[in-house]
Amino acid sequence: MKRVASLFLPMLPIERLRRLDRNGRSEPPPDRPLVTTERQGQRVVLAAVCPLARSLGLHPGMPLTQARTLVPGLDIRPAEPEADGAALKRLALFAARHWTPFAAVDQPDGLWLDISGCAHLFGGERKLCERILRTCRRAGFSARIAVAGTPGAAHALTRFGAEDIALCPNGNEAEAIAALPPQALRIDKGAANACRRFGVDSIGELAAMPRGPLARRFGNALLLRLDQALGRSAETFDPIILREAPAAILRFLEPIFSAEAIEQVIGDLAAMLARTLEQQGLGARRVRLACDRVDGDEQSIVIGLASATRDATHLASLLRMKVEQIEPGFGIEAMQLIATRTEPLPARQVASLEDDCETEIPPLVDRIASRIGLDRIFQMGSVESDAPERSVRRSAPLAQTADWPREWPRPVRLLARPERVDKVIAELPDQPPLRFSWRGETHRIRRADGPERIYGEWWKHLSEADSVRDYFQVEDDSGARFWLFRRGDGVDPRTGDLSWYIHGVFG
Amino acid sequence: MNYVELNAISHFSFLRGVSSCEELFSAAALLGHKALGITDHNTVAGLVRAMVAGDATGVRLIAGCRLDLMDGSALLVWPEDRAAWSRLTRLLTIGKKRAIPKKGEKGQCFLHWEDIAAWSDGLVAALVPDKADGAAQTALAQMRDIFGDRALLALSLRRRPGDAVRLHELNRLAQWFGLRSLATGDVLYDSPDKRMLQDVVTAIRHICTIDELGFRRERYADRHLKSLAEMERRFAEHPDAIRASADIAERCTFSLRELSYQYPDEIVMSGRTPQAALEKMTRAALTARFPGGIPGEYSALLEKELRLVAGWRFAPYFLTVNSIVAFARSQGILCQGRGSAANSIICYVLGITSIDPIKHKLLFERFLSDDRDEPPDIDVDFEHERREEVIQWIYETYGHDHAALTAVVSRYRTRGAIRDVGKALGLPEDVTGALSGQVWGWSNEGVAERQVEELGLDLNDPRLALTIELSRQLIGTPRHLSQHPGGFVLTRDRLDALVPIAPAAMEDRWVIEWEKDDLEELKIMKVDVLGLGMLGCMRRAFDLLAEHKGVRVGLEDLQKDDPAVFAMIRKADTLGTFQIESRAQMSMLPRLKPKEFYDLVIQVAIVRPGPIQGDMVHPYLRRREGKEKAEYPNPDLREVLEKTLGVPLFQEQAMKVAIVGAGFTPSEADSLRRSMATFKSTGGVSKFRDKMIEGMLKNGYERDFAERTFKQIEGFGSYGFPESHAASFAKIAYASSWMKHYHPDIFCAALLNAQPMGFYAPAQIVRDALEHGVEVRPVCINKSRWDCMIESKYPPHDFVGRGTAEGGGGAPPSALRTATSPGNPGEDRFAVRLGLRMVKGLANAHAAQILAAREQPFGSVEDAWKRSGVSVAALERIAEADGFASLGIDRRQALWRVKALGHSQLPLFAAADTREEEQEPAVPLKPMSDGREVVEDYRSLHLSLRAHPAVFIRSKLDAMEIIRCGDLRRIKDGRRIEIAGIVLIRQRPGKGNVTFLTIEDETGIANIIVWQRLFELHRRTVMSASLLKIRGTVQHEGEVIHVIAEQLADLTPMLHGIGEMPFPNRHGPADGANKGPDRRQWTVAKTVSDGSARLPTARSEPALKLKSRDFH
Repeated sequence: MKRVASLFLPMLPIERLRRLDRNGRSEPPPDRPLVTTERQGQRVVLAAVCPLARSLGLHPGMPLTQARTLVPGLDIRPAEPEADGAALKRLALFAARHWTPFAAVDQPDGLWLDISGCAHLFGGERKLCERILRTCRRAGFSARIAVAGTPGAAHALTRFGAEDIALCPNGNEAEAIAALPPQALRIDKGAANACRRFGVDSIGELAAMPRGPLARRFGNALLLRLDQALGRSAETFDPIILREAPAAILRFLEPIFSAEAIEQVIGDLAAMLARTLEQQGLGARRVRLACDRVDGDEQSIVIGLASATRDATHLASLLRMKVEQIEPGFGIEAMQLIATRTEPLPARQVASLEDDCETEIPPLVDRIASRIGLDRIFQMGSVESDAPERSVRRSAPLAQTADWPREWPRPVRLLARPERVDKVIAELPDQPPLRFSWRGETHRIRRADGPERIYGEWWKHLSEADSVRDYFQVEDDSGARFWLFRRGDGVDPRTGDLSWYIHGVFG
Repeated sequence: MNYVELNAISHFSFLRGVSSCEELFSAAALLGHKALGITDHNTVAGLVRAMVAGDATGVRLIAGCRLDLMDGSALLVWPEDRAAWSRLTRLLTIGKKRAIPKKGEKGQCFLHWEDIAAWSDGLVAALVPDKADGAAQTALAQMRDIFGDRALLALSLRRRPGDAVRLHELNRLAQWFGLRSLATGDVLYDSPDKRMLQDVVTAIRHICTIDELGFRRERYADRHLKSLAEMERRFAEHPDAIRASADIAERCTFSLRELSYQYPDEIVMSGRTPQAALEKMTRAALTARFPGGIPGEYSALLEKELRLVAGWRFAPYFLTVNSIVAFARSQGILCQGRGSAANSIICYVLGITSIDPIKHKLLFERFLSDDRDEPPDIDVDFEHERREEVIQWIYETYGHDHAALTAVVSRYRTRGAIRDVGKALGLPEDVTGALSGQVWGWSNEGVAERQVEELGLDLNDPRLALTIELSRQLIGTPRHLSQHPGGFVLTRDRLDALVPIAPAAMEDRWVIEWEKDDLEELKIMKVDVLGLGMLGCMRRAFDLLAEHKGVRVGLEDLQKDDPAVFAMIRKADTLGTFQIESRAQMSMLPRLKPKEFYDLVIQVAIVRPGPIQGDMVHPYLRRREGKEKAEYPNPDLREVLEKTLGVPLFQEQAMKVAIVGAGFTPSEADSLRRSMATFKSTGGVSKFRDKMIEGMLKNGYERDFAERTFKQIEGFGSYGFPESHAASFAKIAYASSWMKHYHPDIFCAALLNAQPMGFYAPAQIVRDALEHGVEVRPVCINKSRWDCMIESKYPPHDFVGRGTAEGGGGAPPSALRTATSPGNPGEDRFAVRLGLRMVKGLANAHAAQILAAREQPFGSVEDAWKRSGVSVAALERIAEADGFASLGIDRRQALWRVKALGHSQLPLFAAADTREEEQEPAVPLKPMSDGREVVEDYRSLHLSLRAHPAVFIRSKLDAMEIIRCGDLRRIKDGRRIEIAGIVLIRQRPGKGNVTFLTIEDETGIANIIVWQRLFELHRRTVMSASLLKIRGTVQHEGEVIHVIAEQLADLTPMLHGIGEMPFPNRHGPADGANKGPDRRQWTVAKTVSDGSARLPTARSEPALKLKSRDFH
């Protein structure tokens, strides 16, 4: 006897947003009405509405502008159907692990659960349903559930029925849903509207009508849905598949102790994992080596990778570098290599000569990283900012970076902080200095270029709104070249106090 | 050596420059410049403004333009003379015409070196190079070949590394080509303070935030205007480059004032001079108008006007307007002129206007009094829907090279500025949205701190504070050029030799680069060809009148003030009429008590935001009611203000007060008028304050009077009406009132056919007609045409049986009529048959298909489908509107049958299908409840002839002791009552101190006044409720009754159940059927099906869809 449960999460988008916060993210204040919005053609309309907002007269489909006029101080977030879908999928996976292996996502706001033959494990259907609702509530979702012999009936009861938990005995579907409106049959909007227009207010009335005229007017979709709900026509759903992380495992007849043996196994495991990854078109970004000791203890090594890879030699060599971290104790009886984080990595042709130069770097980064940590490796890249302090930035070792324009040379060495120079002689408003002294040494300037005028980035700090620096490249008697600047444009006192600084040294 | 800045851009280089021409020129004057060259990017749109600013500051404008070519090079050009200017404008026209607005290229300009070569004569040009590289060499070679000794190389300091070397090399390169270098400032703004705004504008241009802008930010520093000495110091090493600037300034003496405009030739001239032609035409027309002898005053006035016109040589203008109007008349297109010259007898006899200036004592006043050489101004309103024909005729007649639309400069207003600046500064969209949401309508005042705080936003947030500040600076900055709705410039010579022409967003429309004020400044003629919905309505009404009642009248025939019509107007029975139908107008009518035409002119002009804010209404009313005496300090002012009892109501009067009272020169008075008409750019009327008050004091007026007078003029600022406009509108207002009074049936049909227009929805128009004793008949598949039509009242045979055919559960259709109609319907009254156009979602083409097939009445739904071949969807719309009722098929059954139609796609099966239909078992459908019928009526027609929705909830309302709208009349002034009704109109005039609501129940409408304080408390209720309960005080103002709201409550949920309700106190067949246990479920289900509710216990929209009309 088939028993299907339909789980309905009416407030999923709102509750998912509210739920995020308990994990420490910025909280939509509960006393502020919360809505999500989506774009419909040219307009932005409300997608989901929290109960408070609803009580203030907002409803999904209302234009955002109108909602704003109605409720000042509305908390507005963009709708994230993908994130909602992902949350549903997580819930489905949970359901598949805990309640029934036959669980599926029922887009956009529910789950299907085939609980045939497993309700008794939980003490009966009602107990199971209560348990499911409890779990949802703990996860922050309000939910309703219905169980019936057909998916259609369960779906209708959970969304349109009167109770949060509805259990409909098999064969009773027709009676149970007779009073529900035709919309409960998962029919499209047009058919539902037509039903209403014809004064067909309930499924019961619909079922009593002659089928021929109905089919003429609605096509077969309506009748199919009706039949599915009443069990006259079969309906199935595809259960979600639990996917395991790619892994390779080796068990040993005799426990192993020696580093050599372990390294040997690592090599084998890496080769096995690489094959699995290749079959699935994946590359590993993080792998974990788990060693089961005879005494039941587990030893593990985790390595991260700068870019996705399934190069067995590379993986093995990185793991081997950490092999001394493994305490074999009384011996290891099994070792497992799991790719805990993967990324799609398409198959590639055998590298040509040119490619080789490129492919050299990521393994190098990995090798260095496995010694000093990935977070300690960086490269410098330029940022499109005139402020010298902000024009360079550290970035991840393999990230793409831009070059600084050549026409505007910057000093080879930029001082961490500009240093005050004194005894400067320079003509206002825009002439280069003739002389300056820095760190007790006086420099007589022979040649100079400038000024290069650099304005404060007012959008970063309001205090920079007026500030101006005039930069000069200068060369002294000895041929040493410096990068000096004067605060202020030499005319307007608001732009700076005319003091001089050195900011860098040219090679 | 005297440097001249030749390279400065204004904010007409959209989203690049940030200084107005006024700012640039006053900065230039302060810095000692004698001349300033404006070189906007690919445009000359700002040059007229620049010329005016130049005249005001004494700094000569050197007109120029920066041409950005397709190959990336840029050059600055300055025309030496008038001929070179024409070449420049034609060159720009060529570039602009290559842009295809549909591809999003509107406003762009595509030019190549070959184009430059073709139009280079007389232009002095300077290349704007990057550095002395190959590209610069190629470009310089081109420059030398094209411009010869008029070619130069522009040098600008960039304040970047290697600047001095770069200039040196460029200079050497120029010498190598034998060209001179030219020092320029490459000016982006007038003062260094504008730098932040310039950065923001750059971010807006690149559609990114300021943080993402990076190197796209303007790279070269020091872009403000500098003093002569500073520029000469900076270019000390290039003295010849400085000298070159002075030489160009000397050479390019062209001034825009030289642009001479030629009126187009008109056919009627046929060898005569325009003046002779005009004289001949007008005299002949006058004779034709008075066949029995021309009254002396008419001919005297005509001769006087003709003399004036001759003096100013304006005859061609009148001839051109006359040709356009004559064309319209030949096509039966109704039109009406307005504008300064429209009150002339010339316009009257030529039929340009229908206002008899002698009868209505309107003088050609502004035109007469101004001793300035400015073209007269005539705007012509045409029927809205047929204006396009006139426009196309103008293009055909004058040619695309000689006719184009005026531009309108779209400038930033508060909302747009907040939105764009906020976006550029990276504020989240909902914050900028909320900020701009605080602004009503078209404000230019920026967002106030108070409003920001109300939103719960933190003003200490630097980005937010910057947004508020910078958006204020941005207000008034041009954003782009768009087209004027109908302002045509017509010329005899090529128009693009005068000003560049660019394609508009609309296909086949061309727009010049200058706007109205610019044209006025250059004395270029413009004819406004505007669309007016009410004229379309009146033409329909006149046509129906002629067709059905054999009465032939036109606008020009309605000259006599009919007391009966004025009696109706005084009762504020003006729903649907032109201008005087709004709530504010209606409430004023019983107080102003118009008795003659000129009263209407005042009425139209006085109920405007300006006069209301200027506090002119009450003094005028007091004086009119005799409670206060008009004061005239001297006879001069009496002459100016006597007509309006001492209160300046019209722009002309404001000008005259300034001239007569404060000793303004006519041209000063004109700039006063202009400052009243345009917003922001000139700083408003206030800058005239001191001059005006001082002037009046000097002329012996008391300070108190002077200040009061100025306050009034300042008050109506940009909202003031010129008298001639008011007169023209009053004419149409009178004509529509006349129609409404004598032929309410025709007026109703014409008004319904002219929708959407005006303040009222079809439901109110129909209701008003019913109240005036007009019978309105429902949409019918066999009777209705596309438009609403007039049917003679008694004959239709089918109509006798209609009551039973249609009445399946509905009320007798005459329920409303008998309840409210006055006892004495006119004998010649006809019934109005609603047209298929009323049916929501029905396309005109589909309706035409049905009508074409309707030789014989259709016998059934299937018959209609087969004979017309129209789509099932179209028939569905008609079924939804209950259009098959006359066939004895109710709404549900009709829809049921229509739904069955679509499923035989192949003609082969048509026969088989018919059989199947015949064989199909009859399916009983529940009849609709009475309430549902009404709900469905509203859904598909936006009105119901059966009943008012309030009927269904009356018992509940009675239980709440809520009075009916119709009872208000009997309730004493000052009593507290509770009243409820469906919200028809929400209106917040002017600054929004008050919100007018119009509510309606089954007995009538009620006018509610909500003051600002209450509005703020109940903002949501006021803005969203469909059914509103008001507790307030009754206030009688003559015939008009207001309720001053004290408390508001949203009763909208009461409307939800109407769909399930039978008529009260009547037992219909629907009664029992709807008592099923599932009734509550039904409404619940409905909301869910809308996708609107996920929680099945919550409701969303009311089942009854009522749309109010909201005006700000």
